[in-house]
Amino acid sequence: MSEPLLDIRNLTIGFRAYGQYRRVLHDVSLSVGQGERVSLIGQSGSGKTVTMRTIIGTLPMPPGEVESGSIQYDRSSLLDLNKIERNKLKGTGISIVLQDPMLSFNPVLTIGRQMDDIVRYGDARLGQSRSRDARRRHIIDTLDKVQLSDGDRILDSYPMMLSGGMRQRVLIGMALLNKPRLLIADEPGTALDVTTQDEILALLNRLVAQEGLSLLLITHNLGVVREMADRIYVMDKGRIVEHGTREAIFNAPQDDYTKRLMAAVPPLYGPDVVTITNDKTAPKPAIAIEAVSKDFTSRSGIFNQHKTEHRAVDSVSINVAQGDIFGLAGESGSGKTTLAKMTLGLIDPTEGRIEIDGQDVGQTRGTADFRKLIQIVYQNPGSSLNPRRTITDQIAVPLKFTGHESTRIKTRVCELLEMVDLPADMANMYPHELSGGQKQRVAIARALSVNPRILVLDEPTSALDVLVQSTVIDLLHRLRAEFDLTYLFISHDLSLMRNFCNRVGVMLRGQIVEEGPVADVFGTPQHAYTRALLSAIPVTTDAAEALKPKVSKEERGAVLNRSTAIGG
Amino acid sequence: MVLYLLRRAASLLLVLFGLAILIFVIARVVPGDPARIALGPMATPEQVLELRTEMGLDQPFLVQLGTYLSGLAQGDLGKSLLTSRPVMDDILAALPATFELVLFTIILQIVISIPLGILAAVYRNTWIDNVTRVISLIGVVTPGFVLAILLQLVAAFYLGFFPITGRLDPSIAFDADITGLLLVDGTLKGRWDVVADAIRHLILPSIALAMAGIGQVVRITRSAMIEVASRDFIEASRAYGIPERVVRFRYMLRVASVAPLTILGLEFASLIGNAFIVEFVFSWPGIASYGVRTILQKDLNAVIGVVLVSGVFFVIANLVIDIVLGLLDPRHRLREGGRK
Amino acid sequence: MSAPEMIDAKAQRSLTSRQMAMYRFTRNPAALIGALIVVSVVIAAIFAPWLAPSPESAGSFVDFRNRHMAPSWDNVMGTDNVGRDIFSRVLFGYRVSLGLVVGVLGVAVPLGVVLGLVAGYFGGWTETIVMRFTDIMLALPPLAMALAITAVLSPNLVNAMIAITLLWWTWHTRLIYRIVKAQMNEDYVEAAKLAGASHFHIMFRELLPNCISAIAVKISLDAGFVILFGASLSFLGLGIQPPTPDLGTMVATGAEYMPEMWWQAVMPGLAILYAILGFNLLGDGLRDMLDVEL
Repeated sequence: MSEPLLDIRNLTIGFRAYGQYRRVLHDVSLSVGQGERVSLIGQSGSGKTVTMRTIIGTLPMPPGEVESGSIQYDRSSLLDLNKIERNKLKGTGISIVLQDPMLSFNPVLTIGRQMDDIVRYGDARLGQSRSRDARRRHIIDTLDKVQLSDGDRILDSYPMMLSGGMRQRVLIGMALLNKPRLLIADEPGTALDVTTQDEILALLNRLVAQEGLSLLLITHNLGVVREMADRIYVMDKGRIVEHGTREAIFNAPQDDYTKRLMAAVPPLYGPDVVTITNDKTAPKPAIAIEAVSKDFTSRSGIFNQHKTEHRAVDSVSINVAQGDIFGLAGESGSGKTTLAKMTLGLIDPTEGRIEIDGQDVGQTRGTADFRKLIQIVYQNPGSSLNPRRTITDQIAVPLKFTGHESTRIKTRVCELLEMVDLPADMANMYPHELSGGQKQRVAIARALSVNPRILVLDEPTSALDVLVQSTVIDLLHRLRAEFDLTYLFISHDLSLMRNFCNRVGVMLRGQIVEEGPVADVFGTPQHAYTRALLSAIPVTTDAAEALKPKVSKEERGAVLNRSTAIGG
Repeated sequence: MVLYLLRRAASLLLVLFGLAILIFVIARVVPGDPARIALGPMATPEQVLELRTEMGLDQPFLVQLGTYLSGLAQGDLGKSLLTSRPVMDDILAALPATFELVLFTIILQIVISIPLGILAAVYRNTWIDNVTRVISLIGVVTPGFVLAILLQLVAAFYLGFFPITGRLDPSIAFDADITGLLLVDGTLKGRWDVVADAIRHLILPSIALAMAGIGQVVRITRSAMIEVASRDFIEASRAYGIPERVVRFRYMLRVASVAPLTILGLEFASLIGNAFIVEFVFSWPGIASYGVRTILQKDLNAVIGVVLVSGVFFVIANLVIDIVLGLLDPRHRLREGGRK
Repeated sequence: MSAPEMIDAKAQRSLTSRQMAMYRFTRNPAALIGALIVVSVVIAAIFAPWLAPSPESAGSFVDFRNRHMAPSWDNVMGTDNVGRDIFSRVLFGYRVSLGLVVGVLGVAVPLGVVLGLVAGYFGGWTETIVMRFTDIMLALPPLAMALAITAVLSPNLVNAMIAITLLWWTWHTRLIYRIVKAQMNEDYVEAAKLAGASHFHIMFRELLPNCISAIAVKISLDAGFVILFGASLSFLGLGIQPPTPDLGTMVATGAEYMPEMWWQAVMPGLAILYAILGFNLLGDGLRDMLDVEL
């Protein structure tokens, strides 16, 4: 590596907002060599997005201000170029793949139109021109590279008509249209299911090799970094705290922050895996789901005369024993949330019955007794807490409607806050004054306020950074031991599930395809889908990689929706 | 697209039907005997009774409603007590004048306010933005009648640029017998003097009528453009090297124009309402003038007819806007679920 | 995350939201001017009998010797066709205007808000009926309807109030309905249901607080429009009747003496504009400050 393609030196950037100046990048230096794959890893708010925007030139200035530093790209200094020369590099020199494949398309234009514009204006800047047909051929060739063979149909579609995986592929294709040398990818595939993400990462790796691209990958996921990077930069609070080769960072991290980050990622396989057990023996199960199905009806036509039935949950039977942490795993649309809602009595099953502690949900739901039995913690505390009510008010709601006296409520709220390790003076604050982890603790306190025996945990940590996640998980373990709780844990994060649950069930298209103790399901997965799911998870050690189940291409194809075909 | 249009049309038809019933109910529920109101306090009980029979007021309420609705279906709005002619004929005679004024106003609104809104958004927080802000503020806060009077005073009376009242100079002999619209008929017949004079007459009333909407639409266009500018796909387009003018005027505007167009549709009823004032001040011979006269005379049949026709205007305007939105935004027609 | 959000998120860590709101408000001179105008109008209305140079002008006082006087130090806005001081009448006119605002919004806002909450929260066919009805109301030309209603009921302040109120609530219903519909997707609503909260609790304790900013902005903007609307009615002779000093009526009467004695129409016209301007600037300022979309 003689001369890097991209070389950022001592970049310091700040924002002026509300009359205050804040520095968001401190003395950041980073380089990407010719054909090199470099990852920038950091949690939300670490400054990685600001770095990316400064490189591609979309950081709004003002309010952004470059205090000092330089960005060299292929011998030209990006921050000193005039507007025309700077624009010449966009898409042709440096290109990007933004994070969210839904939001990155113009919703009102066809894919073909958007891609054609990129080629046309790219050509214009390079002083060449091609006929419309030639451009279309070039676009279809590019789509071919991202393994989308049905180019013609895709080009005539609007973005909303494609699946998430396809949109992500088209997005990568868009970035490649004008043959850039450096590709910047912001959390590629993060918004997608893990199996699709796996395909996307493999695709990116292949493209980098085939096209001789340099890649700067921006992510928060250590597992992704291990698969995608030759060199790694770790960013925290606007500073690069450590950088080095992949081996160096993973095998011998030096910085304290990097070490904590590594330790916080739950391992999927290997010696560090924790296996939870349930030693309790109780005669009747906490939750008994018997042959439950749920159909949803959608209507269409001028007078809503056409009915289409869609089976979201398909004859599922599960028993969750007292004291279990039962993990319900599955990708989006697998029916796991619908099942949870039926368990809570929020929607009725079309067929089958659900019993909580021996009582039929259909009959007991809505009563105070039912509420003292089962409660829920939602995925996103930003949504599950009312932004306009104080913490006390929110925790008090279940108490108020379960017949607690108002004098008793105040002391109970303090008790609950202490229970989830929050200071009592937070009681009068509003949610926006709390951090994400603190908010989730409040949500847990609210769920526990009436002493329920069972908690449904709907992805309770997926909106949190990994460091915060581990503290919330520890809290949940402690509470379970202290109050004899049973958890129904819904997640798509199998690594977390491996270390948090004692039993798991894997859902696919409304059905439970595999169920059993964690060690068995993860150790010797029986169903092809479970194996495909496990093998797709990015892990952080070579040891874990070696222990992942192997899946043949045919097996994968049989169980997974392909992200390469329309309607897939 | 066809399905989408059918759905929209069906739901608008429903609105129209509901409107007809609502207006009839309001007219019958308000205290006071329509016949007594129409004849005034000097009428004898016999005269009132006679008129009641003639108007069908002695029938049960539902029968009256049925008669009214079936008449409506045949285009019969009853007889005006003021002019003693069928209300429908009166309205049809006055309609072209109003239609011309309203159409001219809406074109004025679109042509002025959307570009101003874009300018304000593109040159956000500069003097251009501030000037637009002041213009839109003036539009929003100036009462229509105050503006109308001021325009009359300054532009027509003191400066003499424009005629003070009316639709066409009385010295010009012209029979608008094709569409009733002076601009269209004048063009068709090659009478450019008529077209020029009609435009001169249209300018002040349509400015007075347009300003309130212009104020609103400028603001909404501006904030929609600013909102769209912060979306990921705009950042993506810039990063892929699409030129700034294309990003702004094709990518952003197309997404951002949904909000102002929707508002124009919703504000249409207010526009018709304000036409009552403007037509009154400028002695414009349209249905609003007719409406004010009949309202003052408590001529119920005519009032119902005017309000109903205004409602039809509203429904048609919104159907047109729906079609435009459907063309602009595929989500609008694919989300065939219907309600906005 | 978009650029402004990003900056917001950054700034939030060091500033409380109240500080941010105050910052936005104080950096917005227009909003401050709006607030000052509104305060001056309210003071004028409350203390009209003490502030007016000629309080007797409010009634059917006649002073033919001083009729049609142009604005001067004695009569800053001139006198009208029977010699009354226009400035004094404007101050009293604000009483009528603000009375109208309070009367209309006092009824229309609670009604509209409750219907919007009910329609958005219960959904199903409560929603269909309420929202279809507001759709139909929307198609009515408001000024024409108000004219027709006051004409039939006989024109006076109370009937004008009734007529405007009947047409006004739908806008609040639509606004609240839209907010509630969006809020219904938030998990806190379901959480409250699971906690056993009553419908009343969810609607008025959970959802309503999330509508308050929007309602505040809307009321501020509305106040101006109610004044305008009432004045338009009076202008056409179907609102408040003389000798009650009403700004719209004053413009209409003054218009007869246009253009030579322009002040008789223009001064009350500007007075209306001044009040509407105040409420609008204040509403816009609040909108920026509370960061709500209407």
